[in-house]
Amino acid sequence: MKDHSVDHTINLEHEQEQEQDSLHRILVPDVRDLPLTPPSAIESNFVSYFAPDFTKPGHDQYVYRHANGLCVIGLARTHVAFKDTSGITAVDFNVGKSDRSGIKVTGKRKKNAQHFESNSALCKVNTDDASYIVRCCVKGSLLEVNDRLIKQPGLLNSLIEKDTLLLSCQNQQIGSKSRGRYWALKSIRN
Amino acid sequence: MANANTNNTEAEHVSIDSEAAHVISAVEECHDDDDVGALHDVVQGLPSHAVKDLLSVGVCTRCILRLFGIRGNIYSISAISPSILNSVIGEQRHGEDISSNSKESEFEEVLCALCLGILQFTYCDDKEIPVKKESANDMAVAISELVKREGYQIDSFSLEVSVPPIILENEHSVRLYMKRKYGTEPWFQGGPFSQSISAKDALKFSLAKPLETLLDCKSGISNFRIGLTFSHKASKVVQSVAVSKQGCKRIKTGNSIDSLDDSVAGDIKCSDLADATVERSFDGLQDNESSECFKFPLQKVNDACHLVLLCQRTPIYFGGRYLKYSRNVSQTRWIIDDERMGEASVEEIIGSNIQPLCQGDNYKFHAAGREDIDVRMLGSGRPFLVEVQNAHRIPSEAFVREIETNINNLENKLVGVKNLKVVGIEGWTMMREGEAEKQKQYAALVWISRPLEDVDLDSISSLKDMQILQGTPIRVLHRRSPLQREKIIHWMKIERIGGSSQYFLLHLCTQAGTYIKEFVHGDLGRTHPSIGSILGCRAEILQLDVTDVKMDCFLTE
Repeated sequence: MKDHSVDHTINLEHEQEQEQDSLHRILVPDVRDLPLTPPSAIESNFVSYFAPDFTKPGHDQYVYRHANGLCVIGLARTHVAFKDTSGITAVDFNVGKSDRSGIKVTGKRKKNAQHFESNSALCKVNTDDASYIVRCCVKGSLLEVNDRLIKQPGLLNSLIEKDTLLLSCQNQQIGSKSRGRYWALKSIRN
Repeated sequence: MANANTNNTEAEHVSIDSEAAHVISAVEECHDDDDVGALHDVVQGLPSHAVKDLLSVGVCTRCILRLFGIRGNIYSISAISPSILNSVIGEQRHGEDISSNSKESEFEEVLCALCLGILQFTYCDDKEIPVKKESANDMAVAISELVKREGYQIDSFSLEVSVPPIILENEHSVRLYMKRKYGTEPWFQGGPFSQSISAKDALKFSLAKPLETLLDCKSGISNFRIGLTFSHKASKVVQSVAVSKQGCKRIKTGNSIDSLDDSVAGDIKCSDLADATVERSFDGLQDNESSECFKFPLQKVNDACHLVLLCQRTPIYFGGRYLKYSRNVSQTRWIIDDERMGEASVEEIIGSNIQPLCQGDNYKFHAAGREDIDVRMLGSGRPFLVEVQNAHRIPSEAFVREIETNINNLENKLVGVKNLKVVGIEGWTMMREGEAEKQKQYAALVWISRPLEDVDLDSISSLKDMQILQGTPIRVLHRRSPLQREKIIHWMKIERIGGSSQYFLLHLCTQAGTYIKEFVHGDLGRTHPSIGSILGCRAEILQLDVTDVKMDCFLTE
């Protein structure tokens, strides 16, 4: 007498194994299709803009704009602040009328977001010798600032992209009418 | 007893539509004598002077029966008419043979002042043509013809009736009048009037049995609803009835029945909810107060009610699991500025294969979670529900299997379906239950900016139930709240890819709601820790696949 329940279990396991194998075959890519160096997340998802000498010579900043209208603003590698041997020693968001790091934006409608013009001051970065004001570059509402920079200003010096972002801002108007002196709409590769 | 029956029925037998004749006689043949006998008994049990009183005021036969709380199939007997009442009452009074005066014309020309003709099967159809059905059966025939014409395949039905609020008003007036006039009499003390049947229920009693015969199925709780909505033009509208310390207050608007002013707002319909509200208001009224509010005798009714017949099936649900093999197919229809994003959608592929086979009006797609358009859904699949509205047919099990095969054999092989079957409303709760706690398993194709080392495999595998903090990803921040979300990565495993030192497959199992892409590349530092931060280098994700949605519903049995 055959034990059908055992057979059934074995069949089920076998079936599941087969399923796993075929799943695995779909998952593993063909190495020949893979690029040597893939595009970064920034390159794939954002359009990069470079603003050289924004309001002042040497004040080079970048803006990454996402398809959904959000912008990330930061110091470009060529910013004059990085030329100081000490590097950046402090970041202070308390400029202008309010402390930018204190604003809490809530909800889908982004309540409490403060509206900024392109030359509004966002923060100050300090080196041993000098202090530089970083401006918004684009007109929009400020959603958040990178407050890790308050405790770890040295992150900016690392020049690793993920650490240099200063803030994100919701913007509707980038690219329209802003072809002023301080604005160069140029797409760059980092 | 036996004598009385035959004479009455033959005399009162009304002329009927030849079309429906054979059906009616089929129904009546079996029950004719019994029914009339039962009717006779019932009527004899009623106080004759009260019945005559009501008849003279313009209340129809069925309304009289229901005011006295009579229930059951008696309402569907076609022999019901004032003449029957009269003849039975005549017997009571004189104890002699039936007076010949009772053989009057059976046609109730006058609309019942209480039910506005509803229980006399008199109404205006949707083309505004006045209709008078001779019996409950005739009306049932009209209904069953509609059901068949619209092609519904049913195994049960439920009747739902809605009547204008003025009927409740009228009932209250009648009851008050009867209470005042006969309140002291012994039969009133027994309280039959307090057990009155509503006009709605009386109509249901009238139609249920004939419909069961014609449609060949039972009436009761069913997913197929036959709705009869009666409305009356320019009748009084009771806006609100408030009970205060001083007594009753009523705000009256609209015209009275007699003056048909076309400029006044049209039909006034009533829903069950409104009925309940009106009833509750009436219950609270003081009897003596309302003499000013209610008119008696009831106003004459010149127009019948307008009837809307609507057949509707409650939504039916198809449950199952779907797989998505393409990186260019969104889960639901996605259109921006008149342009479709992606090649197709899971929703449309599955829905468009189910809805037409049910002959439904439309469908809705629900899934337990979702994945991006460029992420494949593999493994056991993701649970989903397709809700079909007003299905005219419900496919059999075999037919449902055929639908599944059809979808899986589509030429472009974009989507697959497993375990498709018709489920009840419990399918809904099954899907939503624990959606937030369920774990999901993924396989990601990851690239790092330096060669992979053996020690990396260990450092990744050793992390169990690791907590991460994710700020709302920038790519969704425009439509979601800016929040910090704590998520758990249950386990991870690196699988090397032969022929590459910087690419590998990352298998991981995470809490529901984790953004995997951001966990790999770190979203500019807004998700930490991330794969990049753990391995100390830059990490990018090229491809993502969902390999398992760990939920119990719609699994292979």
